Order: sequence, then structure tokens, then C-alpha cells
Amino acid sequence: MKNSLSWLGFAALGAVGPLAAHFIPAGMTLSLLAQATFAAIFALGIGFLIRQNGTISFGHAAFFGLPGYAVAALLPLKLMPLEVLFAAALVGTVALAFAIGLVVVRVHGIAFGMLTLAIGQGLYEAATRWRAVTGGHDGMTLRLPREVFGLPVKLLQQPHGMFVAAWIVMTLCLVAVWLFARSPWGRLTEAIRDNEERVRFLGYRTLLPRAAVFAASALLVAIAGMLSVLYNAFISPDAIHWTASGSGLIMAILGGSAVAWGPLLGGFVYFFLKHAAGAYTTHWLSIIGVALILVAVAFPNGLAGLMIRQRSRP
Amino acid sequence: MIALAATGITKTYGGFTALSDVSLSVEHGEIRALIGPNGAGKSTLIDALSGRNPCLGRVELMGADISRLTPGKRRRLGLSRSFQKTSIFPRMTVRAQIELAARAVDGSDGMDVLDEFDLRPLADRLAGDIGYGDQRRLDLALAMTGQPHTLLLDEPAAGLSFEESKRLAAHLRDIAARRGVTVVIVEHDMDVVFAIADTITVLQLGQVLAEGRPDDIRANPDVVRAYLGSAA
Repeated sequence: MKNSLSWLGFAALGAVGPLAAHFIPAGMTLSLLAQATFAAIFALGIGFLIRQNGTISFGHAAFFGLPGYAVAALLPLKLMPLEVLFAAALVGTVALAFAIGLVVVRVHGIAFGMLTLAIGQGLYEAATRWRAVTGGHDGMTLRLPREVFGLPVKLLQQPHGMFVAAWIVMTLCLVAVWLFARSPWGRLTEAIRDNEERVRFLGYRTLLPRAAVFAASALLVAIAGMLSVLYNAFISPDAIHWTASGSGLIMAILGGSAVAWGPLLGGFVYFFLKHAAGAYTTHWLSIIGVALILVAVAFPNGLAGLMIRQRSRP
Repeated sequence: MIALAATGITKTYGGFTALSDVSLSVEHGEIRALIGPNGAGKSTLIDALSGRNPCLGRVELMGADISRLTPGKRRRLGLSRSFQKTSIFPRMTVRAQIELAARAVDGSDGMDVLDEFDLRPLADRLAGDIGYGDQRRLDLALAMTGQPHTLLLDEPAAGLSFEESKRLAAHLRDIAARRGVTVVIVEHDMDVVFAIADTITVLQLGQVLAEGRPDDIRANPDVVRAYLGSAA
């Protein structure tokens, strides 16, 4: 019964985006919604890492920008069709994240955060200094073919088309995260998060599952990055700077990572709060900061936790 | 048949020697108690046997050298342990963690253990929400899931009431007899120790002070002086 309700909820969520796009006039709002959806998927990846591994990464923005850079650098060489290139960039990013994960998940807490920060900033430095390949601070413009995945590229570069596409991808990502949490692997990684030593003494290896979660969270972030690149046809080092990772973390904390959909909510709230506050003051970050402190102190499980608590009140 | 043997176990922390050339040989189906004052090296020995801490010496399980195996591999070979502090998964249901433990070893659902430890009524509750005595029982059930043949227990009666300790002792005796499980138990509660142990090893300052049947240990003046005192 509960599962059927969840599937109904996913179907309803999937339908909300296209329906909203139908009623909202094309323009700034839809463009913001499309970008907010990228941010939400980004936050979903970071929240997934917090939820399953209990670790906080300060370098995940690297996985947001890496596939975009790979596509931008390899596209002019015409080695393979764009769709294959997209898939290869995602696979490559996940493989790299898994390899990094095998090293960094051995440590916890601040050490883990600092390692991810160092790796992320290392890639940022590479992106800014390796001008011949990355375009340095100027970034890279992608010259996309007319069609991608059987759709006109123009459609995906318009707010309406991209918002609908990103919304559907976001819903699929949420379903994947939800299914993972209910799988034996999800239970195992939660058990490792809570009591790794006991899990080892129950007979499990703990390194591979933790590295796999790190890689899966990187995949979600990479998908968000790929959508962003497809929409903007542009990638720059700003996308992989540690402040972008910090924004993703704020989104996940605002929304709360105790439930799968919490970071999505945090992503949308952060994005629209940022734009609303930015319209009034250049110090919009201080408003986000106050909101973050309020949520962290008053609602440790984030806005999603607050909503669940309100709903379960008699 | 020897189920568990340790030879020349030595463990040092900086300049402090926690265990010095300790050897132990436990028969299959035997309940062996490790007793001694605080700092004697009892828990360190359990850690060495289970692979928690690297140490010098050799550990054999059913005749096979397991000295260099990880805790997980030792577990899959049938050597299981519990911890001094309750080591469960408070945010998981009792059923989910028993299933998790069973899947690691034999792929079963572990429901027989739920019944054996009388945990079925609590199966769908979060482990963090059940009583302390029930959590200790769950801790033990996690160690017993997957039918291990050798069990290392580090103070399983810690924090239990007199009645709960008595029930635990009877339960351990029953499991060992029924399943033929070899048990090595560290325990400060002498009522539990003398109620269940076939053999007792007394440790003091990282060395074996005495070893023998409970009556012999109770009568050993060195042991009485060093540890048992009036408890004997």
C-alpha cells in the first residue's frame, strides 16, 4: 500500500513539471525553473552522499563540471556521436569518482571534507591553468550538432523544453535514489554509516560499498552538470569551484537529507531564495546564511523533516 | 578437537605491554571464561582473536591459521564476536539488521535467530527505541546469526540486572549445548562466569596467571589474592 502510494507520488511529481511548463509563459520564470532543477539534482547527489555514507563533500562540484569539460574538449575531434560522448563522459566521471572514493572514504569527518576540497580545488586549478584544453577562466563554448538524443538541440536550449526534460530526469533520479535506499545495498550502506566496525565484524567489506555510494552521488551531480552544459552550451571553472560545492551542501542541508526528496526541495528553495534576495541586495548570501542557521538550529532534519513532522501531528 | 588456539599473543601500545606471550587453547563446544582485574588484557585478547587489533602471535580456528585474516573473513569462517559496548544499528529495525547479518554469512533471512532470542515481538521496532536489556539480546543475536561455531563475547552481561544476567547465563549455556558452539567469554559478573564456564583462564598484567576448572580456580590462592577476593 505504502509502495503504491510512493509510485503514485512519483508519477504525480513527474507530471507536475510538464503541466507547469504548459501554464507558465515562456521566459525568465521557466529559465529559472530549469536552472533550479539542475541545482536540485546537484543537491540530490550531495544529499545522497550524506544520507548513505554520512559524509560531507566540499569538492563535488568537480563532478558537475568534469563531464561538461570532457564533452567540450572532445566534441571538436568528432571521435564519436554526441550521445555516445555524453555517455562516455558520464561513465568516465563515475569511474574517476569511484577511484577517488576508494581513497577518500577511508577517512571520515573533517579529514574527508578536506580531502574532497583538495581534490576539487586541484581540478579547478587545472581548469583555470590548462588554457589550451579548458580555455582557462574564459571557459569553453560547445558547438553542438542540430540534434541530440533525437531531439532538436534548439528545443533543449529553450527554457520550456529544457525544464520539461530536466524535470523528468530529476524525477527518474529521485526514483533511483528511493529504490537504492530500499535495496539490500541501501540498507548495508546505512548500516556502515551508523556502525562500520560492527558491519565488518558481521562479515562485510565496507570500502567498496562506501566508494560505490561516492561514485553514485558523483553520477547524480554529473547528470545535473550535463543538463546544464546542454542548456547553456558553455562550461567555465566557476562551475567546479569549491563555492559551488558549498552551495550544493547548503541546498542539501536546507532541504534535509533524512528523506530522499529533501535535497530536491532544498535545491529549489535555495535557488529561488537566492534570486529573490538578489533582487533586493547584493548581500544575498547573508540572507541565505541566516536561513541556513535558522534551519540548522530549529529543524536539524531540514525543511523536509519539518514538513513530515507537521504532517504526522495529530 | 581444538576449535580456537592462540599462541604467543603479544600486544604493545607504545611502551605498555597489554599482552605478553599469551597462549590459549579452547576445545570445540567448550565455554571458556577470561577473568582478571581491569587492565589484565582480557578485551585485548578478544580483540586479537577476532582480528580487531593487529598483534604478534598466531591464531588458529579449527586448525587453520587465521592470524592474517580480516575480521570479515574470520566471521565467514565461523568466528563471531560481540562488543563490550552494545554495538547495534539504532536507526534500523530489529528485523532489518538480523537480515543484514544473515545475508553476510549464509544468505538466509535469519528469522530463526529472531525466535531463538525472543526478538520477534520487537522485529519491526527501531533498535534505538527498545530497552537496554533487549538491545543487549539483539547484540548477541547479531553475533549468533549465520550459525557461527565459535563465539567471542566481551562482557555480555554488562549493565544487565541480576535477573537478566541469570537469564543470559542460562541462555548461553543452552545455546552452547544445543548448537555445539565454542564460547570464549570475558565477564566481570562472577555469578555468570561460575554458572556457565567449563574452564577459566585468569589474566593478570597481560599474562596468564592461572587456568583450570571453576572449582580449581576458586580454590587457587593466587587467583583469590589477585582478583576474586571475597567473591570466591
